[in-house]
Amino acid sequence: MSIFSLTGRHMRRATGFGHRLAIVAVTLMGLLALTFFIGRVMPLDPVLSIVGSDADQSTYQQVYHQLGLDKPMYMQFAYYLRDLLHGDLGRAMLTGNAVTADIARVFPATIELATIAILFGTFVGVPLGVFAATRRGRLGDQVVRVISLCGYSVPVFWFGMMGLIIFYAWLDWAGGAGRIDLAFDGLVQSRTGLLLIDAALAGEWEVFHSALKHITLPACILGLHSMAYIARMTRSFMLTQLSQEYIITARVKGLSELQVVWNHAFRNILVQLLTIVALAYGSLLEGAVLIETVFAWPGFGSYLTGGLLLGDMNAVMGCVLLIGIIFVTLNLIADALYQVFDPRTR
Amino acid sequence: MKVPYLLATCALSISLIGMPLQAKTPTDQLIIGMSMNNLLSLDPAGATGNDVVEVNANMYDSLVELDPADTYKILPGLAESWTVAADNRSITFKIRKGVKFHSGNPLTAEDAAWSLQRVLKLNLALASVWKSYGFSAANVEQSIRATDAETLVLTLPEPTDPKLVIYTLGTSVGAMVLDRKKVLANEKDGDMGKAWLTTNEAGSGPFALNEWRQKDVLLMSRNESYWRPQAKLKRVVLRHMTESQTLRLMLERGDIDVANGMSVPDVEAMKKNPNVGIEAVKRGNVYYVAVSAKDVKFADKRVRLAIRNLIDYDGINKTVMPNYGLYHQRPVQMGLPATLPNPGYKLDVPAARKLLTEAGFPNGFKTTIRVLSDPPFINIATSLQATLALGGIEASVIPGTGNQVYGAMRDRSFEIIVGRGGGGAEPHPHSSLRSLVYNPDNRDEAKLTNFQGWRTSFISPEINALIEKAEVEQDEKKQTAMYQEIQKLYEQQVGAIQPVSQMVDTVVLQKDIRNFHSHPASTTRWREVYKQR
Repeated sequence: MSIFSLTGRHMRRATGFGHRLAIVAVTLMGLLALTFFIGRVMPLDPVLSIVGSDADQSTYQQVYHQLGLDKPMYMQFAYYLRDLLHGDLGRAMLTGNAVTADIARVFPATIELATIAILFGTFVGVPLGVFAATRRGRLGDQVVRVISLCGYSVPVFWFGMMGLIIFYAWLDWAGGAGRIDLAFDGLVQSRTGLLLIDAALAGEWEVFHSALKHITLPACILGLHSMAYIARMTRSFMLTQLSQEYIITARVKGLSELQVVWNHAFRNILVQLLTIVALAYGSLLEGAVLIETVFAWPGFGSYLTGGLLLGDMNAVMGCVLLIGIIFVTLNLIADALYQVFDPRTR
Repeated sequence: MKVPYLLATCALSISLIGMPLQAKTPTDQLIIGMSMNNLLSLDPAGATGNDVVEVNANMYDSLVELDPADTYKILPGLAESWTVAADNRSITFKIRKGVKFHSGNPLTAEDAAWSLQRVLKLNLALASVWKSYGFSAANVEQSIRATDAETLVLTLPEPTDPKLVIYTLGTSVGAMVLDRKKVLANEKDGDMGKAWLTTNEAGSGPFALNEWRQKDVLLMSRNESYWRPQAKLKRVVLRHMTESQTLRLMLERGDIDVANGMSVPDVEAMKKNPNVGIEAVKRGNVYYVAVSAKDVKFADKRVRLAIRNLIDYDGINKTVMPNYGLYHQRPVQMGLPATLPNPGYKLDVPAARKLLTEAGFPNGFKTTIRVLSDPPFINIATSLQATLALGGIEASVIPGTGNQVYGAMRDRSFEIIVGRGGGGAEPHPHSSLRSLVYNPDNRDEAKLTNFQGWRTSFISPEINALIEKAEVEQDEKKQTAMYQEIQKLYEQQVGAIQPVSQMVDTVVLQKDIRNFHSHPASTTRWREVYKQR
């Protein structure tokens, strides 16, 4: 009996896994098809980006043919999928490199920036949200709400410029543009692509310090938006929980306010918070184009935007595929963590 | 106890982050902040845009160079000397002995011939100018050849002015000499090293490429065995920065030495800074208003003349163009002996209205202006939109990227365009006229997309014939007179491209930088640059 029930459970799990996998595959395929066809009807000519606007027609036609643009659109897509199944995302016009190599080069810079940003956003945003909820309508709550509103509504570009003027130009606390001072460029061998980790592994503490000085400001500014969002959502979730009857019961039982808030109310919003943080992290990984522009950060967002502006569809498709995979993976992780934190969902 | 501990931790963190690291750029390095968005390939044959020209001019050598202070002055480069045949149909170059590439391979005339042949065989972006002189993939092995290791002979397939060809050798990055052996060692599927040269170099110039991380940083170090006196700087670093304010802050802080592509408001603000200098260099291109003569309205000379009268030249040049361009109305670049003085076109609404009425448009008409969404293009278009309205012409502005605007122009599917062009790298009237005016075949199927004259569908057999005649005229005085005649004819016939301003490029640099001379053809060389500290 137990063997049968075990097999049945495994079967159910296998079916569920297969079902999810199919959804993921269909989602990614849909995303690729849509991006491919939008890319092809965009009024941007990748050939002109390569040959320049003064090239003669024979040069133009030669590159047009080399890029395969003379073939029907469905055939171009079929070739793309064929190469994709062989792990080949094509060659980026933007750089002349394989798209996979380019993504491997630019993505770590974004991961590093986004991870510090989300850590900042979460570790500042969550306590602020809880603080505001426990002081509803009072001065503390109003202050947090104003901070959240600013973080949410003031353009990140403006924050970036102001941050540079104040912390870089005036106070000399932050590094300028780029990931590191140029004097240190090339001193540390890239192992993970994450400069802080690579520098620490190599024991190059001056390089580490320079990288830290460069990343702190853009990461904090980038994290401000997430912080505002997370604080607002935390406040809202907490307010809902704090008005529940079990909270009154806990207080009647004589538990301290800290225990009531953190052990009871906060624990019940963890699942929702996870989704919020995961999606916010996904958005950051997608590329913070404006921050990357202001801080000359050689990241994913800047690469994707450059590709889009040039009509470099191999680069764009590779990036879109990666973004799709990130979001699908984060959703799957959030789903899995739901089951850990909320037994009702198992 | 907890709060002071927390404050102390915060203070320590801030002070650690705030430790000053690098106040000034190193004395032996040049740090340039610039946008690398258009730096797509380092292959000299496929180079488009000014940025890659500047980079390649420092990693490669050319046969000759044009003096940045006086571009008529042709200076020897890899070619020690050259002679033009009496019939003007061939040029013989004597190649310098003892020059070595970065790889250590010796540089010979075979390398020079192969490099030029490669441009035409691969038919990449820079083949266009050579094709206009009659060179082709089919004839290039006969017309460009090394007779021995030190002699290169260029036989001109069609009659042309040899001086023009020499100017092109000094300005076109496609004429840089490549290390044939090294390139061929990296050839794939008969691509003549095209894929490899996209991200690598095979030059003999004063600097060698260390690393290029696209849209991030490009590092070059001094070529220690350079045949000229060694470069004064040990390293040149180009950092990708697109935001003008960031460039400005980094320049003010002394973290970069040179800023390229700074916005005009920032350049204006930097003029007040005593620690920086501003260098403006005139380029050969012009900003223009172009109409399509394919459009029935603009096919009428009176309508084109009306448009010429509806441009506020003074207003545009005084308010929009400072640091972008200089007042100029001729299709030949300013400053050449053949360039006529500006005709003094002015905004004249009554005259324009009269012409429109005569042309059958007493109430004006509707049209579109395609324009790049960046300054100063969009500002010129906005001004034009307002002045056209004074003449009764209702124009809607369609902003776009360069790709979209010039793509439409190449397809001949536009009405009015505010753009920039005109070749002009060579200090020769033909360079501007070939690009802006010449149109030897006006049929759509001719697809002469590299000629902006063709793109506008404006054709004047008389002007075409005169351009061809002037190009081969050996008597300099007669040639100058012909070019002046062309400008007068263009004025009378109301050409479809009306120049408004001649392009100026502005570079902002630290005051302690010496010998940084921006070149009008973008071949700015850094080998003499140093810092006076």
